Amino acid sequence: MKHVFQHPPETPSPTGRKYWRTMGELNDTPEFRGWLEREFPSGIDEMETDALSRRSFLQLMGGSLALAGLGMSGCRRPEAFLVPFTKSAEWLIPGEHLLYATSMPRRGGAMPLLVTTTDGRPIKNEGNPLHPASNGGTDTFAQASILELYDPERSRTFLLDGQTSDAATFADWVTKLRAEATADGGASLAILTGESGSPTRERIRGMLQQQFPKMTWCVYEPLSNDNEREAMKAAFGSAAMKMVPKFAKADVIVSLDSDFLCVEESDLAAVRDFSSRRRVAAPTDSMNRLYAVENRFTVTGGMADHRLRCPASQVGAVALALAKAVADATISGPLTDLLSAVPATEINKLEKSLPWINEAAKDLVANRGKSLVMVGPNQPAWVHALGFAINGALGSYGPTLTAVAAPAPDGVSLASLAERMKSGAVKTLFVFGGNPSYNAPADLNWPELQKKVAAVARIGSYDDETSTGAKWHVPAAHYLEAWGDDRSSDGTYVAVQPMILPLHGGVSELEVLAGLAGREKIEGPALIQETFKTIAKNVSDDALAWNNFLRDGFLANSAAGEASATFNPAGAKSFVQTNFKSPPVPTADAMEFVMTPDYSVWDGRYTNNGWLQELADPVTKLTWDNAALMSKATATKLGLKWKEDDIRDGKGTGVTGDWIEVVVGDRKVKAAVLVDPGHVDHSVSLSLGYGREKVGRIGRDAGFNAYPLRTTATPYFVSNAKVSKVAGEAYIFSTTQHHYNMEGRALVRELPIGTYREHAGFDHEGRSFVQKFGMDSHIPPSVSIYKHPPMTGQHQWGMAIDLSTCTGCSACVIACQSENNIPIVGKHQVRRGRIMQWIRMDRYYSTMADKEDDEDPQVMMQPVTCHHCENAPCETVCPVNATVHNEEGLNVMAYNRCIGTRYCANNCPYKVRRFNYFDYNSRPLDQLYLGPLAKKGVAETVKLSKNPNVTVRMRGVMEKCTFCVQRIEEAKIGQLRVARDSNNTKVPTDSFKTACQQVCPSEAIVFGDIADPESKVTKLKKRDLNYTMLDYLNVQPRVSYLARVRNPNPKMPGAETVGMSTLKDSHGH
Amino acid sequence: MANIFPKWTNQLPIQILVAGGVLFVSVIAGMTYYFTPKYTRVGYQPVQPVPFSHSIHVNQLGLDCRYCHSQVENAAHSNLPTTQTCMNCHSQIKQNSPRLATVRESWKTGQPISWVRIHQAPDYVYFNHSAHVNRGVSCVSCHGQINNMAVVWHHEPQSMDWCLTCHRAPENHLRPVNQVTNLNWKPEDEPPGKDGKPRTQREIGEQLKVAWNVNPPVTCAGCHR
Repeated sequence: MKHVFQHPPETPSPTGRKYWRTMGELNDTPEFRGWLEREFPSGIDEMETDALSRRSFLQLMGGSLALAGLGMSGCRRPEAFLVPFTKSAEWLIPGEHLLYATSMPRRGGAMPLLVTTTDGRPIKNEGNPLHPASNGGTDTFAQASILELYDPERSRTFLLDGQTSDAATFADWVTKLRAEATADGGASLAILTGESGSPTRERIRGMLQQQFPKMTWCVYEPLSNDNEREAMKAAFGSAAMKMVPKFAKADVIVSLDSDFLCVEESDLAAVRDFSSRRRVAAPTDSMNRLYAVENRFTVTGGMADHRLRCPASQVGAVALALAKAVADATISGPLTDLLSAVPATEINKLEKSLPWINEAAKDLVANRGKSLVMVGPNQPAWVHALGFAINGALGSYGPTLTAVAAPAPDGVSLASLAERMKSGAVKTLFVFGGNPSYNAPADLNWPELQKKVAAVARIGSYDDETSTGAKWHVPAAHYLEAWGDDRSSDGTYVAVQPMILPLHGGVSELEVLAGLAGREKIEGPALIQETFKTIAKNVSDDALAWNNFLRDGFLANSAAGEASATFNPAGAKSFVQTNFKSPPVPTADAMEFVMTPDYSVWDGRYTNNGWLQELADPVTKLTWDNAALMSKATATKLGLKWKEDDIRDGKGTGVTGDWIEVVVGDRKVKAAVLVDPGHVDHSVSLSLGYGREKVGRIGRDAGFNAYPLRTTATPYFVSNAKVSKVAGEAYIFSTTQHHYNMEGRALVRELPIGTYREHAGFDHEGRSFVQKFGMDSHIPPSVSIYKHPPMTGQHQWGMAIDLSTCTGCSACVIACQSENNIPIVGKHQVRRGRIMQWIRMDRYYSTMADKEDDEDPQVMMQPVTCHHCENAPCETVCPVNATVHNEEGLNVMAYNRCIGTRYCANNCPYKVRRFNYFDYNSRPLDQLYLGPLAKKGVAETVKLSKNPNVTVRMRGVMEKCTFCVQRIEEAKIGQLRVARDSNNTKVPTDSFKTACQQVCPSEAIVFGDIADPESKVTKLKKRDLNYTMLDYLNVQPRVSYLARVRNPNPKMPGAETVGMSTLKDSHGH
Repeated sequence: MANIFPKWTNQLPIQILVAGGVLFVSVIAGMTYYFTPKYTRVGYQPVQPVPFSHSIHVNQLGLDCRYCHSQVENAAHSNLPTTQTCMNCHSQIKQNSPRLATVRESWKTGQPISWVRIHQAPDYVYFNHSAHVNRGVSCVSCHGQINNMAVVWHHEPQSMDWCLTCHRAPENHLRPVNQVTNLNWKPEDEPPGKDGKPRTQREIGEQLKVAWNVNPPVTCAGCHR
């Protein structure tokens, strides 16, 4: 029996714009009125107040049966209401999607977005394809930010000294504060905020500084590009710019601890451009070559053709050796001169790696003007300066690297703010966003420092560590709730417009700052409009320009111009000279401890986001936790034990790890260990952002806090760490790496470009070299004894996934989750293999079969989703026909028919079916096992986040990828509207995208009509790199893959193994 | 020791079997009849907050359906008119009618009118109005002669079986697109065939089905997502 939602009672609204007052939403107050009471005069009281419970249903059933012979009425549905608006709302069609352009403010530049809203509630973020720096893609964080908007644990109340207060009291307090601050010129006032490109914020800051000239303005980001900026200032004389790599033009790229394929670290354009050079369509095509130097696998390292395992602290030494080799080869005077600034011994410090480095350098030099060296933001400033010098010697400035004007964050450092706070000079401190009590460098001892300030006003989304002890906690408005503006990574002026009124009465940073600057309460976009007028100058019609700005989401042609940047070798040299530090090469007794950004929670700001927490890390496949990562050799040496299939408590298989303690000086961190293949020895990586103390239910008891070891001097890695095993029961991790294992068949296929060129094309049977790998080479195709239904549809849907460009970033997983109302299941359910995500991002390590204990694997990523097999094995075993084929080749799921036998999941060769073991959508995750005794229902806000075009599934139902059937139907019906009384019913070629395809920043996923010869997917499927998984099963999947092509440098040590693993060891890894 | 079971219990198994059989048959029979939308839905005619008469507005005044249900051709849902739409006319006509008090109240207070819902597809059914009315399926096919109803009632069962009957043979309901909102349309109104005889619904439907490439989905994903 279907359970009917209990909707909230109707409340009056002056505008008629309230989320539950929409058509199509069933306002379910099941008061069986009039007719029901007449027909069931007694014993029906219960039904007047309650929803149709099991008990009342049985009663009714009994009643209708008893009365059946008398011909009286049976039960009817509860009365429902349709509530139209009072005044018609512009643009809004009840139940239909409405798209608005906005952008998500991010540290490195806002991400342009198109937000899908339905009946006034935003439900899905997409990239803004009109924006020049976007290809319509987004990333995990942008996708998941929708969930944050609806997070029921987001702060809802103004708190004054911990007691509930309100906005008016806060406004009064600010007014009083203004008077005090005016008196002392703002000397006692300090503002701490995050990086932002918002011109309006900059404008208000100007106003504030004018009124309070002695005010302290501090910008702090735990993970920042400060090191690069510092080096830029020395090497180019200005930090008010940024270096923008042109990956589309680069043939050879060396990444020195740079994870530039992580969108948060660079931008969408970088990923798109890089991918454009990884695609191979024909043997004559060229591709770029990526060398990566890093201590642990990142998504960038996974994409690399050659990867050097190197301690994070020694990347500087690699840079020096690389510089030396480049200098020698190019006879670059400035670079040679710069190298004289450091001891010669440093240059040859990493003897063992020198052959690798020298070959990489040769490749760089051979491609002068088409090569690029990237230095990661976590590397010290002198390495950046060195990187600039190498790029200079390679002639990268201009062809592959341009300097673009970008205002540097202006303000004092966190350390100097801390200094002022310590001296007692700061009486009032505003903290916008961020969470310094949790993430400020440990040596500042921020929580104590904050106590020295008389009044701390915290404007934040969560009542967290920093709000503790603060005088004021003010709920912050989400970016989808407030007006704002920003600049995207290319400097384009973008709009941030609200999609919905603040759900919990939050206020934005701009509103509070403007209030502090003495502005009256601002309604609507007035503040932004003022800024807009100053930026959009030469426009004839202000109102029109503003409307266009909001419609497009950005101001056309407002990208930042190129900055005049001349590399100053002398500046760089003296900078390297003064800043050069040589951390010791880590050893077993003095390891290095590396603090890394986390793919799920970044620096801790996304900790309470369930989608991100349950998203498996692209590399470690760890969910709900972080872990101290180290190599197998290091773990063995430390006497650590780990198990990959611990079933100790009978509650699913967990990966377990022993505990270690990392001690540096008098600071220490305790964490459990996860062995990470490809990690360098004597190095421990622990990602930031976990182990929060004051956080909502989602982030609670998750992972280990790395911040205690983070100091102002050593923000990203610290040497001389004493690592030792500590006693304790092994910690159980939830990883997805064992889920849906496909048992070592040749599923992922890769080959070096040379091999591809040699074997390109098809054989006489029309099968490509790639298709015949592994088992598919010698097993004759089987014959289906079942006949599939006729595929007579006008469209035939299919998908092709290019493994050459898939970085494994997992944005598709979250996009799918957001689009298809997929629930999270919690850490303990993940361990039982019950994760619900429809796309599984498989990460394969590959090593050579003949090489035992290879600690230097390569990584392959493969997203796997329902293959919509034409001879679908799942369909033949379903006893109730709940999963059947449709005429367009979709393997469709009728949830209402499903009785939960799970035979289909058993019979699925790709293991892509997901079963609702519990009511994940309507019961709290910690009460799943209470069954019907558990609390029923979820927060109202969570209901708002659902896509109304997709059924929310209940317990006992099987589900899986539908190829976004709601989007397919929407497109088809949209075409019917166009066709009307014509026969033009064919959906235009490639006119819509699935959620996973739309989000993919590297455009690896292509979906479309394979019956249409013009569609992109048809063309991809005709390529000789195209293969289907488990071809020998003859299930005829509609999803195919393009084998990954790697581009090894033949002269490189170990080059013969690159991309060869599937060829030599065709039965998998 | 006396027998545990007295003699009359010999008949008991048969009696239980017979009674069980009767019960089983009546349960099945009852369910097939009473648990179908044909029984539970058709004829449902709730009292609406405003005594709005389709009959007056359509038959007497000649309003097109789309004046009020303005988005029916563009959206999945056929929207109900906003209070503003009512007031377009009723700010001048029947300004003081007590029957319109609720509408005026709504306009004054901004509090929307809660119409009682009659036609309701289950949550897992994604019916789309625009896909039908743009392609020659008239309102009357699913809602009956609303134009003659003073108070709207549920006219058709709208069960899955009922949907599929039409999806399998759309020719029985297709009509020229410009006649979709003409609820009084008859096949005879169309120009006669080549033989001079008036064409039947089936003939017209067959012709339109081919000409417009009408191919309604009959598999799950057409309606269930």
